[in-house]
Amino acid sequence: MSSADQAYLNTRVSMMSLRLLAPEAIGPIARMPLPALAERFGLGALLDEPSSITTRRRVLEQGLTQVLLAEMQLLMRPMSAAHRQLVLAWGRKFALYNLKTLLRGKLYALDQKEIREHLFDLPDFMRLPSELFRAENVLELLRQLEAGPYRQIARQAREVYEQQREPFALEAAVDQRYYAEIVHQIMGFDVNHLDSLRRLLGAELDRVALLWLLRFRFSYHLSPSETYYRLVPSMRLLTRERLLNLVNLESLRQVIDALPEPLNALLAKCETIAEVQPHLVSHTQGELRWILHQSQSAVARALAYLMLRESDLMLLFAVAQGRLLQFPERTIEVALDLIEAHPARADARAA
Amino acid sequence: MLRSVPMKHVRLLVLTENLPQASLALAETESFHPDTRAPEEIRLDAMPGRDYREIFNQAQSRLAKITRLIPVDGEPRIDEVRVVEFAELGALNDWLGELWGEVSSYEEDFRRLDDSERLTKEQQASLANFAHLNIDLGLLRGKTRFLNFHVGLVPRENLRQLEDAARLADYLLHVYMHEGENAHVVVVGPTGDQEAQIASVLAAAGFQNLPIPQGLDREPEALYRDLAEQRLSIEEQRQSLQETLERWGQPFHERLLNARKTLMLAEPLVALDPSLHSAGHLAHLVGWVPARAVAALDQRLRESLNLPFDLLVRDPRPDERRLVPTVPVKSRWLTPFAMLVHQYGIPSYGEVDPTPLFAVTFLLMFGMMFGDLGHGGVIALAAWLARDKLPKFYLFGVFAGISSMGFGLLFGSLFGYEEILPALWMSPLHDPILMLKVALGWGIAFIVIACLLGIYNRLAIGDRVGAVFERHGLVNLLFYLAFLWGGYGLATSGGFGALPAALAVGSLLALAAFQWRHLSAPTGEKILVVVIETLDTVIVYLSNTLSFLRVAAFSLNHVALALAVFTLADMMGAFGHLVTILLGNVFILVLEGGIVMIQVMRLQYYEGFSRYFSGDGHQFLPLRLRRGSASS
Repeated sequence: MSSADQAYLNTRVSMMSLRLLAPEAIGPIARMPLPALAERFGLGALLDEPSSITTRRRVLEQGLTQVLLAEMQLLMRPMSAAHRQLVLAWGRKFALYNLKTLLRGKLYALDQKEIREHLFDLPDFMRLPSELFRAENVLELLRQLEAGPYRQIARQAREVYEQQREPFALEAAVDQRYYAEIVHQIMGFDVNHLDSLRRLLGAELDRVALLWLLRFRFSYHLSPSETYYRLVPSMRLLTRERLLNLVNLESLRQVIDALPEPLNALLAKCETIAEVQPHLVSHTQGELRWILHQSQSAVARALAYLMLRESDLMLLFAVAQGRLLQFPERTIEVALDLIEAHPARADARAA
Repeated sequence: MLRSVPMKHVRLLVLTENLPQASLALAETESFHPDTRAPEEIRLDAMPGRDYREIFNQAQSRLAKITRLIPVDGEPRIDEVRVVEFAELGALNDWLGELWGEVSSYEEDFRRLDDSERLTKEQQASLANFAHLNIDLGLLRGKTRFLNFHVGLVPRENLRQLEDAARLADYLLHVYMHEGENAHVVVVGPTGDQEAQIASVLAAAGFQNLPIPQGLDREPEALYRDLAEQRLSIEEQRQSLQETLERWGQPFHERLLNARKTLMLAEPLVALDPSLHSAGHLAHLVGWVPARAVAALDQRLRESLNLPFDLLVRDPRPDERRLVPTVPVKSRWLTPFAMLVHQYGIPSYGEVDPTPLFAVTFLLMFGMMFGDLGHGGVIALAAWLARDKLPKFYLFGVFAGISSMGFGLLFGSLFGYEEILPALWMSPLHDPILMLKVALGWGIAFIVIACLLGIYNRLAIGDRVGAVFERHGLVNLLFYLAFLWGGYGLATSGGFGALPAALAVGSLLALAAFQWRHLSAPTGEKILVVVIETLDTVIVYLSNTLSFLRVAAFSLNHVALALAVFTLADMMGAFGHLVTILLGNVFILVLEGGIVMIQVMRLQYYEGFSRYFSGDGHQFLPLRLRRGSASS
């Protein structure tokens, strides 16, 4: 990537970052009634009275996803091939959501129409091959997927499915391979970008690894070795050695006590996994914002912007969905904390 | 040939029961290009072809999977066109689903055999690896009183994670070999509670057990022989399975061919799906039809449909111009040139199709820049010999070669030798200034024609203001001609001349004023943009004209390169002379030929197409019925 492209991308990211929601704006948004929300963010689909709530939800979700993917394409345009591949690897999560929907559809023999309704409409470069929709079962689907760019993920998922035949193992394998591929791509970058990308993805992986660890160990009661196998070590706080130590501990309290700083201080008062999640989200968001505002690497900034933007759009979706389904304020606020937690708000609720 | 084929917009209203029949009738005429815009009438919100398409796609996918294992040769010929109703398609899909259920079990058997063969190969590799170890390998086969062994394969990317996870379960992982994407490992640990843990970790890591053969205390040769026999046996099983499958599949051949025929007949309705809308029993279908084919289409619908229908025909509206498809030029000679034009874009409706002009100007420029009887002959011959591999493109090479040969005769050049053939005109090096003048004249004519075509294209779509004032419009052309007139005066009599200067300045001011009026920006920015754009007009026309000097430059370059080759050859002995001449000519043909080709394309695309060809149209792709080729 030439320095001109880098400067161009940096400027673009800086301009686009003005679209991000400021932490203090989230509270008022959460309290906005549906018409005000639709007007402020141009979400006309919310007020489309003749459509059912489910249809409005789907249209809204598709619309917000399209916004994110359009911005992703815009940012990818001036990037070099390697940088583009990295952003694309991150964006593949939407194709993997579709893959999981298809897998669930095949596992539970759902109607084709019903499966289609739950798929994201993705751009060509990210779309799953159309033959997958006509596969007769999970194995056939995964074998077909092995012929394309999702080869690694599909192979791993198929091998796991052949051995274990359970949906949890299948989806866990897909998620694990997704993060492992991003890590693999990052390690190929030069020093100008490596530090920023390690910090960026490290923050994300710290969050994912700790949450998975807690769930696998204390909710699903998997053994330490199986739990460890399903994690993706981070290159920042929860490294391989730390995870090897943490999976052997027997309670949430022990795990939190053994965490490195700043996670230890951050989670010191947490008693349940549900309490851990908003604090972790808040920490990750802080790291993403730091990269966005301080990093010299344009690709890391672009990726940080996309991650933050995704959170914002999810937050909008959660508020709109809450309003559509007429959930109480408190339920909406709890949902928001899981997406884009604000420390002050989370602490206030904890108190 | 230059103008677009006139098109009509048609709207067909039929009863939904008649939809399959209507789709077949439209496909038979091969003149209906579907328009996928949603109808303005909001009550037409149902998609009557959606379920049909879903079933069709699934049936076609199943048929493709089945015929991969039970090959059915050829495409059945459709002699009688008939309607495939939804119920028939559904029944066919169900049957194909049942058949695939059975066929897929054969596929699984083949996969199992592949896996067995792969494992046997891995075993052979493992044994070769173990051969020098002085231990009883039989101990690795299962578990002992205190130790549990797992010998097998694991994907390399999972190795590191698995090693750590195994350690957590008090197991050790040892890698003894890497092969392809897998690593061969031995996992060993205590028996007891930890066994279940390691088993689930191994399963999650995609671990494949590699059975240790019985009788490991025997001679290594005997073991290898056993494994080789196993592979032979697998191959025999595969053959036998293939024969069983062929015998089993034989009775289905006829039915599978019929299934393919049914799907071919159902295809037109599926292709129409995006443009089909309905309300109740009324289906709405719109598309584009060449004006000359409308009567035949109407007639065909009257003959085919047994229920009432309504066909409304109208001219395309001005706002629909970009949606109207363009019927491509049908000429065998022009096909390769059309392919090159389509690299730039498809002519939009109403726009002049540049293919014939492109073909003539391309050949003239290529010939002049690479004029040589011998080299042209080689190009034409090579293209002719490649006619089977490049059936649609070889004529391009043949024509380019012939053009090169023609100019070779004019220049008196044969493989660079200028003494063998008497020149019908002269060698380019004989009078380079004249060559440059000819190229300049050619360039001026080319640019003027391009501008005139651009003006015509704008007038054809009713854009009169654009034809006069837009870039490369009439005022722009006036400026160019005045500029040339003044330039000619400057070169011949030393003065630009008052009249040409007034015309040039006046036309530039007119262009600037037009731009000023159509620009919405702050005054400062407007001044900047108008000044730069006006300056750009002068620079672009001057540089574009001079750009054509390369036509002469390359004709001179061709002679100069040949001279360089001969000079080098003369420095060698007899054999060296011959080799240098041969290699030199290959060099000229490949390198100079390639560069000339690129330069001509550049002149066409940049100096020509950018002036008059938008290329933002889309091709006319009518609904067709695949008739098939082989007899059933």
